[in-house]
Amino acid sequence: MEKPVVFQVQHLQKSFGHLAVLKDISLTVHSGQVVSIIGPSGSGKSTFLRCATLLETMDHGTMRYLDDVVCQDTPKGSRYASSGTLRKLRSHFGLVFQNFNLFPHYSVMQNITDAPLYVQKREPKAVLQEATALLERIGLQGKENAYPCELSGGQQQRVSIARALMGQPEILFFDEPTSALDPELTGEILKVIRDLAAQMMTMVIVTHEISFARRVSDHVVFMADGVIVEQGPPDQVIGNPSHPRTKAFLKKLHDGR
Amino acid sequence: MPPFLAELLESLSAPQFRYTLTLLFRSFGTTVAIFFLTLLYALPLGLLICLFRMSKFSPLAWLTRAYISVMRGTPLMLQLLVIFFGPYFLFGIPLSTSYRFPAVIIAFSLNYAAYFAEIFRGGFLSIPQGQYEAAQVLGYSRLQTLNKIILPQVLKRTLPPVTNEVITLTKDTSLAFAIACAEMFTQAKQLASSQASMTPYLVAGAFYYAFNFLVAALMEYLERRMNYYR
Repeated sequence: MEKPVVFQVQHLQKSFGHLAVLKDISLTVHSGQVVSIIGPSGSGKSTFLRCATLLETMDHGTMRYLDDVVCQDTPKGSRYASSGTLRKLRSHFGLVFQNFNLFPHYSVMQNITDAPLYVQKREPKAVLQEATALLERIGLQGKENAYPCELSGGQQQRVSIARALMGQPEILFFDEPTSALDPELTGEILKVIRDLAAQMMTMVIVTHEISFARRVSDHVVFMADGVIVEQGPPDQVIGNPSHPRTKAFLKKLHDGR
Repeated sequence: MPPFLAELLESLSAPQFRYTLTLLFRSFGTTVAIFFLTLLYALPLGLLICLFRMSKFSPLAWLTRAYISVMRGTPLMLQLLVIFFGPYFLFGIPLSTSYRFPAVIIAFSLNYAAYFAEIFRGGFLSIPQGQYEAAQVLGYSRLQTLNKIILPQVLKRTLPPVTNEVITLTKDTSLAFAIACAEMFTQAKQLASSQASMTPYLVAGAFYYAFNFLVAALMEYLERRMNYYR
């Protein structure tokens, strides 16, 4: 049986001025799927993620989360749902930033509970319980009252993953989650993502960690120059790429090692 | 004991000195009132002007830009005179002595708000874009983002330059003598000329210094209180 569609975007186009950054991108993510997006910098990966998480508006195309329509393509461009609808839609997804973007004036506990308490207005006791359990799961028990500046980069990124998970999203986006970390700290983040994958969390990961992408994901998308050049199972796209662009990119990465 | 020291000690206990001290201390109350009332109005007004200045609605942004430019580009004493005498010269409203104090508060608040606005703007510009984006993704409304996420960080970052302005304000209260508002400097000036003595000025100076010493200590304390994060 086909798993339900969590996120779908069709014919996404986005330009900045005259520069076409995304040209006709379509992607469907099913529940429990882990999709990795790889490609050279400037290929549009981050812009794609920003469109998906409503940080940018797309010029053309259709997008939806589950049965909720974010925007619909019209001849005049993408028409977005009302801002009230969009606000509710945001609870469908979470985003983990490259630079964590934790709130520096909040403790770890406040960082992960503030939005559930004051934005989603959930019941405090349940939120506290969930937060405590989550911190234990990512190995940060005892750090509840620490401030972001007192944590290592890896710990900060784990807090930001916890913060994204607290909204109980159906899908989690990662924007190069290990790129701002020292190499010896990337492992702890990749482990958290692997654990999430094992729990069937639906995820879309923009990453430069090719070997990690191959191991953790069940679908790999290679993007270049604003288009999806190639996509499919990791063993095909990374292990045996068919397109010369993909081959060139992977070879360059490999030679760089 | 050298004679000049004995003379000094004697003068300090003289009735005239006690008279000076009493009068200056009384008028110091007005100085302190100008100080606190100005902060009370200028800080929120400064924040409002700052938000207007950064507004995407360009007429509003330009208007506040012009406002800040004029307020920073002309002397506070001149602004004070315009606020005090303006109603009479422009509209023929008779001058009243009871308008002196309110005129001081209005002029000082309008002037300091312009400076605070620019300080706050610098604070806002120093907050990374990622803070806004993180709040947006988590579903915070624009008002919640401002209140809970951005403003606390802006206030922490702008505390040192705000301290500067606050200390300057203490000294600027003396400009109120220009419209004969009965604050400490006006009083010191009167006493100095009637007694043909420097002592009232020196005493007033001591009061200003002591007050600013306390202000600086308080602001330093606030800074330390906010030092728990970077």
